Amino acid sequence: MNEPTVFIVDDDQAVARSLRWLIESVRLKVETFSSAQAFIDGYDAGKPGCLVLDVRMPGMSGLDLQERLAAQRIHVPIIFITGHGDVQMAVRAVQAGAFDFVEKPFNDQDLLDRIQKAIALDADQRGKEALRVQLRSLFAGLTPREREVLDLVVEGLSNKAIANSLGLSAKTVEVHRAKVMDKMQARSVSDLVKLSIQNQAG
Amino acid sequence: MHNEWSDAGQMFPGNDLMWLALVILGGTLTAALIALVVVLARLQEAERKISEKESNHESILDRLQENEYRLRTIIESEPECVKLQAEDGTVLEINPAGLRLVDANQPADIIGRKIYTVVAPEYIDIYRENMRRVFAGEAMVYEFRAITLKNRIAWMETHAAPLRDARGNIYALLGITRDITEHKQSEEQARRHQTELARVARLSTMGEMATGIAHELNQPLSAIANFARGCIRRLRSGDMSPEDLAEPLEEVCEQAERAGEILRHVRDFVRKSELQLRPVDVNQIVRSVVKFTDHEARQHRTMVRLHLGADLPKVQADSIMIEQVICNLVRNACEAMVEADSPRREVSIHTRGFGNDEVEIEIGDTGPGIDGTVIDQVFDQFFTTKPDGVGMGLSISRSIVESHGGRVRAESGGSGGTVVRFTLKTGGQPERNRERADSIHS
Ligand SMILES: Nc1ncnc2c1ncn2[C@@H]1O[C@H](COP(=O)(O)OP(=O)(O)O)[C@@H](O)[C@H]1O
Ligand SMILES: [Mg+2]
Repeated sequence: MNEPTVFIVDDDQAVARSLRWLIESVRLKVETFSSAQAFIDGYDAGKPGCLVLDVRMPGMSGLDLQERLAAQRIHVPIIFITGHGDVQMAVRAVQAGAFDFVEKPFNDQDLLDRIQKAIALDADQRGKEALRVQLRSLFAGLTPREREVLDLVVEGLSNKAIANSLGLSAKTVEVHRAKVMDKMQARSVSDLVKLSIQNQAG
Repeated sequence: MHNEWSDAGQMFPGNDLMWLALVILGGTLTAALIALVVVLARLQEAERKISEKESNHESILDRLQENEYRLRTIIESEPECVKLQAEDGTVLEINPAGLRLVDANQPADIIGRKIYTVVAPEYIDIYRENMRRVFAGEAMVYEFRAITLKNRIAWMETHAAPLRDARGNIYALLGITRDITEHKQSEEQARRHQTELARVARLSTMGEMATGIAHELNQPLSAIANFARGCIRRLRSGDMSPEDLAEPLEEVCEQAERAGEILRHVRDFVRKSELQLRPVDVNQIVRSVVKFTDHEARQHRTMVRLHLGADLPKVQADSIMIEQVICNLVRNACEAMVEADSPRREVSIHTRGFGNDEVEIEIGDTGPGIDGTVIDQVFDQFFTTKPDGVGMGLSISRSIVESHGGRVRAESGGSGGTVVRFTLKTGGQPERNRERADSIHS
């Protein structure tokens, strides 16, 4: 799997460099950006990881960037770094879906722990998303007739009952059924049921 | 006090008495009244002359008497106080509205007595001067504080004009007076509110500045911490050779210098921010600080005792800045006692003369005192022993005191507790200004 990256957005170059130095000490990959706009321009949403974001920045603030990403359905976990007394901003950020925040000056272990958790959450989200995409493509590979057969199999009907209800011969149902199992890469009816439920849930 | 005096001294000199009186008095009623009174006076004068001559023109006399009667009725029913005063201040005549104004039960309570019996002592001199000018021919409007016959204190405004006899000699002052207490009070309230606002604005500027500094300083401090932590982690995991330390350490130094630069700015700000030096009463500053820290102190079960020196000379100071210093010191004292959970919590503030040309202010507490090993550092920027302390309070206080040409010292008291003393100059130029003057010459 792709190596996670910690994306740092901070207008203060020295702070950004120091964060890079700290985070790289636990062997994580780091990319820094000096403004929210630079991040929007340079970010590849395909890369797993998390975002460490300064709340206060001239131009587009951290909160503005969070809003922009949400509007674009980019769900990278965000850890906000807030200044002394910015509690209200932090609360707003978390209410708007931020993963967490740390208050400056922060304990390094706190920040690194949160980063690890954020990366794990991102990996989890990406894994689920990948599964959804895969399922969708599996289902998309079925013909309409195979879809009908699948739905009835999942409902627990026997081949004979399916044949009756669809006005087909038992033999034809048998063929469709084998095709479905094959296309869905299922080894048993219970596999089919699980996949079908997951698809509906996603 | 000075303002009030100059208010009362507003004067309107004039040549042609009647016309000026008309212009000044503005209201047609008042003007008409004056005209009537003047006519009345002329009539009286004429009456006197006529009787002097033992004239037999009875019908003329009758007509004059009739006119006089009519004028009197008008004046008697006039809702504002109308009175005549002699040059020495004796009240010659006064209408019923006037009697009510000075809380007199009957005319004899005030007629024949000096007007000064109802003028507040601090206004008597200025009142005399105003009367002198009216008797010299000026029409005037003046304000004064009155103490009525029933000891009620009221603000009065008088429109005064000289009265002349047929030969043009001034023989009385005609005054129309009204009670302006309410107006005065709302004026006073507005003024007080203004100064209060100005003070709050300046204090909150200091507060904002402190928050701003905290934000600014957080940047280099966070960076330093991150670089250092990154080094420690690498050293611990054996990920780093000593040569690799050079670069992050370079960064650490740079950020430390950046923090120092920010602080220099703060000190310059305190130094350069326009000190509004005025002769001020230290005791008054102490009292006003105590007033607005009182609530906080009481919440922490802390007593504030004042031992203010008598007859202290005024010091040259910016009172807001000195308030800030005392406020910091009192707050530190309270915080120390709360933190140590001291059973007896007392802040005592002493003021006293010091040497020839200084006043000393001392803030003592019954807290834990300051450890001998750190007492030399408490004035350093960022020195703090409090979990959420900023460590700027004493540092800023020292900058303020020194910019006034004073000194500040902290001692751990013998019987426990902390004593912080600072001095302020009583006169002349504080050091800051002297430095400036010097640099202009060099
Ligand atoms: N009255 C006092 N009693 C004991 N310690 C004091 C007192 N005043 C100041 N100190 C010490 O000096 C330090 C610096 O004070 P200050 O500069 O006001 O910063 P802060 O109050 O933010 O800590 C305090 O943290 C405390 O340790
Ligand atoms: Mg303090």
